[in-house]
Amino acid sequence: MQTSRDRLLEFLFPAETDNWLAVLRVGLGFQVVFYSLSLRNDWNYLLSGTASGLVTRNLAEALLSLESRFVPRLGWLVALGTHVGLREGTVLTVVWICLLVSGFCLLIGLASRLSAILAWFLHLCAAKSGGFFSYGVDNFMTIGLFYLMLSPLPDRFSLDWRLRNTPSNDPELLGFWRRVLQLHLCLIYFFSGLTKCLGIGWWDGSNVWRALIRPPFNVVNPEILIRCKYLFPIVGIFICLLEIGYPFLIWNNKTRKIWLIGICAMHVGIGLTMGMYLFGFIMIILNVAAFSSRSDPHRAAKVSTSGYRKWAHKLAGNEHSFQGVLSSVQMPLLRSIPRPRLLESVVLKSEPARPARGTGC
Amino acid sequence: MYLHVAGIETGYSYFAPNVPGSYKLVFELHYSDGQTEYVLPSVSSEAAGLRIAALLDSIGRTRYEVLREHLVKTLARSVWREHPEVKTVRAVFGSIRLPTVSQFENGQRESYEFLYAYDFSIQNESLPEPKDR
Repeated sequence: MQTSRDRLLEFLFPAETDNWLAVLRVGLGFQVVFYSLSLRNDWNYLLSGTASGLVTRNLAEALLSLESRFVPRLGWLVALGTHVGLREGTVLTVVWICLLVSGFCLLIGLASRLSAILAWFLHLCAAKSGGFFSYGVDNFMTIGLFYLMLSPLPDRFSLDWRLRNTPSNDPELLGFWRRVLQLHLCLIYFFSGLTKCLGIGWWDGSNVWRALIRPPFNVVNPEILIRCKYLFPIVGIFICLLEIGYPFLIWNNKTRKIWLIGICAMHVGIGLTMGMYLFGFIMIILNVAAFSSRSDPHRAAKVSTSGYRKWAHKLAGNEHSFQGVLSSVQMPLLRSIPRPRLLESVVLKSEPARPARGTGC
Repeated sequence: MYLHVAGIETGYSYFAPNVPGSYKLVFELHYSDGQTEYVLPSVSSEAAGLRIAALLDSIGRTRYEVLREHLVKTLARSVWREHPEVKTVRAVFGSIRLPTVSQFENGQRESYEFLYAYDFSIQNESLPEPKDR
């Protein structure tokens, strides 16, 4: 029982460098910038709450309120702006500018934490208020920005770190948030792969054909696609196996690189052949941040005792468990220490206890 | 609330188990001089175009007729703003039938299946008049 708990703690809190966090921060910075720029001309049109918009934002927000009143939305910011005399259009433009600026700040690592929180909040507001317009890319941006916001920023490559010269982050806390991202991606691919395997169309390749000719993803001319029709079943099976095998083979050192390259290649393909550039990019960023490099075993060995104890204490939540974990760590160390000669001789001789002077027996 | 803020409120079965069909909305604009024009909901970038497709998917998949009508009506209103001289607007909503590989090789191309139609007039735009399905 104790060993399994130790293993679980070791799995959840591996010591990590902040390289992965830098990849996630810079990648999401690019993503937020591209997202903002891609919608610069249609931002107010898509998210307006008045009759000047395409579909009124108020309807999506009303439906959102049925689920929860506390999910961030643009309506809050517009109401706040109205109090200080700003028109809705002005507020929406300010939100767009703030989102773009937060993306640039993430890119260079300036005010990393604040930028991550701002980017997450503003993007979430836009995604929820424009609920009818949102698709997969919005979910994955929310997931990525949520984990980035909670991760121990700033990383060593950020401008913050250079300016403030802050001490390095706890390697095990870095490892924990990377582990969460890794596990989340495993769940996503496993269930995506499993549901694909249930459809016959992915095995015979017809779904690959349908996905590529389905408007508005029909970037490649079908006349060209039809020449490669024999590849469709291979590509369909490849996608199914890649996704369903992800949680099993991405952890193994021998297969990790192959699987990661395969998944990234799949997302490059989706981006190029279906015009889903933002979707492809965010998925590559999340995968590369989560699995591009292994945790540092030397560092793990160096910090395991202190961090392990701290996190074990936090997780166990009581002194008894803490002692148990401590003893399991310390016992091998105690066993390995040679006993002093005197102590050994005393034990071996096993002298009978002599009565103390002045006392009769 | 946590599900929403963490981005985990939806499932991950993208294009699974099978790739769903897509939808198309065409506005038939009738002018007072008898002229007719056909327009599609338009945005200025490809990225926003993907979002229009998501909106049409939402309209096509919803089980609530009132919601569908309301969304189509607001889309019709946006078309009206760009064509203020229009007398009536008919919104025709349909699904796109995609050909299989063999059908495509035999010359068949994508076709449209009529689902819903709504008529709007500029004098009384309060309620749409659903035609039939």
